[in-house]
Amino acid sequence: MLVVMGGSAAHHFFNKGGLKFMETNVKAGSTENKAKKSRFSSQLWFIWLCLLPVIVLVLTFTYYPVVRGITLAFQDYNLMHVKNVKFIGFDNFKTIFHDNQFILALKNSLKWVFYSLIAQFILGFILALVLNKPFKGRGIYQGLVFYSWALSGFLIGLIFKWLYNSQIGVINDLLLRAGIIKTRIGFLSDPHWAMFSVISANVWYGIAFFAIMLLAALQSIPGELFEAADIDGAGWLRKLFNVIIPYIMPTIITTTLLRVIWIFSDPTLIYSMTNGGPAGLTNIVSSFMLSKVFGNGEYGLGSAVGIVMMIMLMLYTIFYLFATKSEKAGDF
Amino acid sequence: MGVTKKSKYLYLGLATTVMAGMLSACGGNSNDSSNSGNTNNAAQSNNAGSTQEKVNLRMIESLTSPARTELLKASIKRFEDANPNITVELISPPFDQADNKIRTMLGAGEDLDVLEVRDLTINEDVTNGYVENLEPYASKWADYATVSQAAKTVASIADKPYFIANGMYERQMFYRKDWFDAAGLAAPKTWEDVYNAGKKLTDPSKNHYGFSFRGGPGGNGYVDAIAQSYNGTNLDEADGHFLKDGKTSIYGTPEAKAALELYQKIFKDTAPADSINWGFAEQVQAFTSGVTAMLMQDPDVIGVLNEKMEKGTWASTFLPVGPTGKTFYGIGAAGWGMTSFSKHKDEAWKLIEFLSSPAENTAFCKAFGLLPIHSSASEDPVFQEGPYATLLEMNTKPEDYIPLKPNYSYTEIGDWGDVVMKNTQAWLLGQASLDDTLKILDKYWQDQKAKLAK
Repeated sequence: MLVVMGGSAAHHFFNKGGLKFMETNVKAGSTENKAKKSRFSSQLWFIWLCLLPVIVLVLTFTYYPVVRGITLAFQDYNLMHVKNVKFIGFDNFKTIFHDNQFILALKNSLKWVFYSLIAQFILGFILALVLNKPFKGRGIYQGLVFYSWALSGFLIGLIFKWLYNSQIGVINDLLLRAGIIKTRIGFLSDPHWAMFSVISANVWYGIAFFAIMLLAALQSIPGELFEAADIDGAGWLRKLFNVIIPYIMPTIITTTLLRVIWIFSDPTLIYSMTNGGPAGLTNIVSSFMLSKVFGNGEYGLGSAVGIVMMIMLMLYTIFYLFATKSEKAGDF
Repeated sequence: MGVTKKSKYLYLGLATTVMAGMLSACGGNSNDSSNSGNTNNAAQSNNAGSTQEKVNLRMIESLTSPARTELLKASIKRFEDANPNITVELISPPFDQADNKIRTMLGAGEDLDVLEVRDLTINEDVTNGYVENLEPYASKWADYATVSQAAKTVASIADKPYFIANGMYERQMFYRKDWFDAAGLAAPKTWEDVYNAGKKLTDPSKNHYGFSFRGGPGGNGYVDAIAQSYNGTNLDEADGHFLKDGKTSIYGTPEAKAALELYQKIFKDTAPADSINWGFAEQVQAFTSGVTAMLMQDPDVIGVLNEKMEKGTWASTFLPVGPTGKTFYGIGAAGWGMTSFSKHKDEAWKLIEFLSSPAENTAFCKAFGLLPIHSSASEDPVFQEGPYATLLEMNTKPEDYIPLKPNYSYTEIGDWGDVVMKNTQAWLLGQASLDDTLKILDKYWQDQKAKLAK
């Protein structure tokens, strides 16, 4: 306050007996400040106390596993000989990058993510556009379409495994009966079909996610925009590319970002359908990690794969957000 | 802040409840165990089992199947009736994940008293100090005298028993007798016969195939079997992956190449393409559902075959032999062991002893389809006829059907199944040559041997 008043004004203030007044005020102020401070500090400990369960939960279940996982990646930690655990530097990383199966899993992961995402997005978007128009029984239809998202990936994998079974699977049976094929196709064993088969199951699984999210975004587009487009004589395609897509772009960016991360890191479908086989042709990085940990008990190697996955996803996220330049990503 | 005194107490109460909940959830097991530990100490000080203090045993099985779990539960019920102060909590993880679950529980030191140890896991369990040496208990057990030598050998390391087998696994060949008769074929005796008969019976248009091939998990047992048969008398019976010279692995010989060439023909000409991924369930199901004509399996499938197939449509025969007229088979077993950190060791042994008694073991093996561990039980008429008869008869010809002694010296072969599966799949699909595949398999065992020598 004194600084703001400047030198002469302050002098005048003191000469006019303002000092006494101020002293009284300062005293009163300091008592008030002390009271405020003590109230604030009593509220502060209360805030921390209320936050404590969450802090403990996050530290225990998020940060501790991350730190432990990073530590394991630099250890020779194998369940076959847990009494002989030792730090081995970057050996686990060297091992996985010299493993042809890991390189194959990396390539497969790119195919797996790319084709799954494209098909899920296009089909999910079409579904959302269809469901955006009111028709009789839309609610029931929506429920039926979206239920796949409520199922466990493992269960979906088992269902598709039996559908694609070459001996007793429905798909082979229907194709044979329709005369489309003459001999049964080993959808999950033929190197030419295996990846396509697991991707198709993943597409079916993920369509509902895009349909739900994009439908919500479509329903938030103001009707005036379409009216204005109609007045300008815009056709359906023009509306799609000049009104709909720009308006829901933040949702598209966020959903595709999230979906890539989920598809990349979710091994459940692969694990239940082919377990990465035949000959690792359907193995993706996350199922490769699972096989190292649960198949061979090689927690050190598995953790090293996990670190590589984490770095890849971080780089992807930074690059993607930078490339899309969307400061509105996440704004549904 | 705008927080009233009332809501402040409310938040505080909520936070305390959440914390208390978390702490009790985290500490639940240890509290239980410490309580039960005290109970056990009390029980021990009063001569174990003689007090009315309740003891809860935690037990986990590995070779889970619904039918087997029911049999186990019935046995446990009889045990609990006979020992009212002991209750048993049976954990039955799905078969495919059971060993990993057990491994994880042991690694985390979770409360566990009795576990199913397998011939495949005994080595790591003992190396890691997870399982208790049962010698002090077995030496006082009267019925241990009738346990067969094979059952004792497979469950021991350095002559110390670490589990009591609950049944013996020994492969033989099951075949569709009706298909063989209709085609005028005799039961296969050699691996060549398996191929020739399989090829004749294969008709993809009818969805009929010759052989239940297993290219997925567990397929290494079949690759080993054919390679061992073809190496014949050169094989070291005490170290089944090496020849008698102690240096050459079974995959480093011209015989192994001939064996795997035939193995590839069996896959291509007599088995469905899907079988490259098949594990136990698919392999057995293909046989029971009338897709395949031959199945090489342990006797634990006998129950399923009896249940799902018409009598007279199938029969059993000996294992196929190699060109020298000899074949080798491992005697497998799983059984009940005790964790080294169990707080209820006396009660745990009581349960193991009960489940392994001649009456319980014979009933379990009869119902599930295993060879009993007590020599006295083989006199039972059930084991003298049908599929068991061929198995027992095969055992009477050890000059041609040679049992392999379990070798637990290799401590790091847990990934052998995975190595065989991925490399043989690549070769069978034409993505790798046989020579390269053999080199990989040979190198694996040479590396293991080198580690052993260190």
